[in-house]
Amino acid sequence: MRRDSAIKLVSQLLDLPLIDKDGRWCGVVDDVEFDGTPGKVTRIKALLVGPGAYEGRLPSWAFWLARKIAGTRIARVPFDRVENIASAVHLDCAAEDMNLNRAEDEAGRWIPRWGAL
Amino acid sequence: MSRTALNPLELTLGIMTAVGGFVDISQLVFSGQAGSMFGYSLISAFAISTIGIMVYGEMCGRVAAVAHQPLFSLMRHRLGLKLGLVTLVASVLSTLVTTAAEIGGLGMILNHLTGAPYMLMCVASTLALMASMWILPFKWIERTYGLLGLFMIVFVVALVAMHPPWGKMAGGLVPQVPHGLSNKQLLNYSYFVVAIFSAVMFPYEAFFYSSGGIEEGWKPKQLLTNRVTSIVGMGLGSLLSIAVLALAALLFAPTDVAPQMPGSVALQTAIPFGKLGLLAALLGMLFAVGGAAVETCMANAYSISQFFGWEWGRHKKPWEAPRFTIAWIVMMLLALAIVLTGVEVMKLVGYAVVFSIVVLPLSYLPLMLLADDKSYMREYANKWLAKILGWLFFVIVTVAAIAAIPLYVLTAGGQG
Repeated sequence: MRRDSAIKLVSQLLDLPLIDKDGRWCGVVDDVEFDGTPGKVTRIKALLVGPGAYEGRLPSWAFWLARKIAGTRIARVPFDRVENIASAVHLDCAAEDMNLNRAEDEAGRWIPRWGAL
Repeated sequence: MSRTALNPLELTLGIMTAVGGFVDISQLVFSGQAGSMFGYSLISAFAISTIGIMVYGEMCGRVAAVAHQPLFSLMRHRLGLKLGLVTLVASVLSTLVTTAAEIGGLGMILNHLTGAPYMLMCVASTLALMASMWILPFKWIERTYGLLGLFMIVFVVALVAMHPPWGKMAGGLVPQVPHGLSNKQLLNYSYFVVAIFSAVMFPYEAFFYSSGGIEEGWKPKQLLTNRVTSIVGMGLGSLLSIAVLALAALLFAPTDVAPQMPGSVALQTAIPFGKLGLLAALLGMLFAVGGAAVETCMANAYSISQFFGWEWGRHKKPWEAPRFTIAWIVMMLLALAIVLTGVEVMKLVGYAVVFSIVVLPLSYLPLMLLADDKSYMREYANKWLAKILGWLFFVIVTVAAIAAIPLYVLTAGGQG
């Protein structure tokens, strides 16, 4: 599906994994940001990625817990960077261009780079 | 036609790996006890649950090959964040207990093989498993444990050598309740039916199989290989458990001995083959249980990574998927920590099967919905047979899930 097609938000976009132009997993569509006013056409402006976007989707106690464990980071991916939507949302840019790689890079510092075939 | 192409080498290796990797500590424990307590009558529980895991295993592989997405990722999309998170937490906890049970089982088997202290062997085996997961890529992890687990075939050979009553064994394939059981024994029998279904159809198997399909880059043209591998491999793998059950029925039932420990199960092969048989059985159990420990641990790392959209997979180097790597290291260490608290392995096995069966319907419902969904699966969506069998087993595991905890309590984990 192309990004300019009509989209069923919940069944076709929300909670799908994001995959960057190099085929790397870089998060999940945790929420979306809209552009538009009441009575006018509403368009998706950006995809929101990260635990901060769980607010409103989880009960308050669960969001409090998620915030304590994972923080409140949110990355905003402009919708025009979406190349296509299928069983994943494919981006036309690299994860680092959208600041989607920060947590992965931070974790990577703890992993030694030797010994694996 | 390329869609039905079978690569004989891949197929043979796939089947052998599936056979050697089928058995885990719970199956060993429950098949031994089931045979000694109820004769051949619970063979039907193994046979029916094996058809269930064949159905769902094939579905997992098909979804992976066609949708190119693993089960947990699609599950979150289907269930949403809230219910998805509940499923994730339940599945991670039950699989973590299963990993702990496998590590405890490894400690016991190594204790039998070397005489070294049990706890030390648990630590040593955990470190060895982690080293193998670090060093080897996915395909080699799967094949090493699966192929070395084929030592377990000694149970089948021992059974044939003992000339069992084949007619009675075949009769065990028919679902039945043995005559003359007291109410207490009837509850125990029901608990064993539920436990065997859980041990054969553990939810981690679906997560591991589905992720493994992506790790190996399956495509629709490999669907036939997937189908044959899951049906033949799991079918033959189940024969190993049935052989353990039948040997226990033959050797332990007449003397009223219930083989609770892995060592007692291994002793069954010593009767026809002496020390060599015992050694082959212990080695087979070591690699089969070791493989199950790796699979459960990786299944948890897969689930967490896919749920949150992290880089994942062991076809990548550990530093190319760092959060996935940290996830499996943490899971393995947590499982070891559970074992080091001193909790009995047999209790862990009991908890693992009860928690897992409760999670089973939550794991298999999204799989059924996905495999039925033509927008994802196109012409590869479930056909009538997969639909009927899939929903039939869904009803069975749901009933088993509802009955599991009351039965566990009423029978004190099958000891009542």
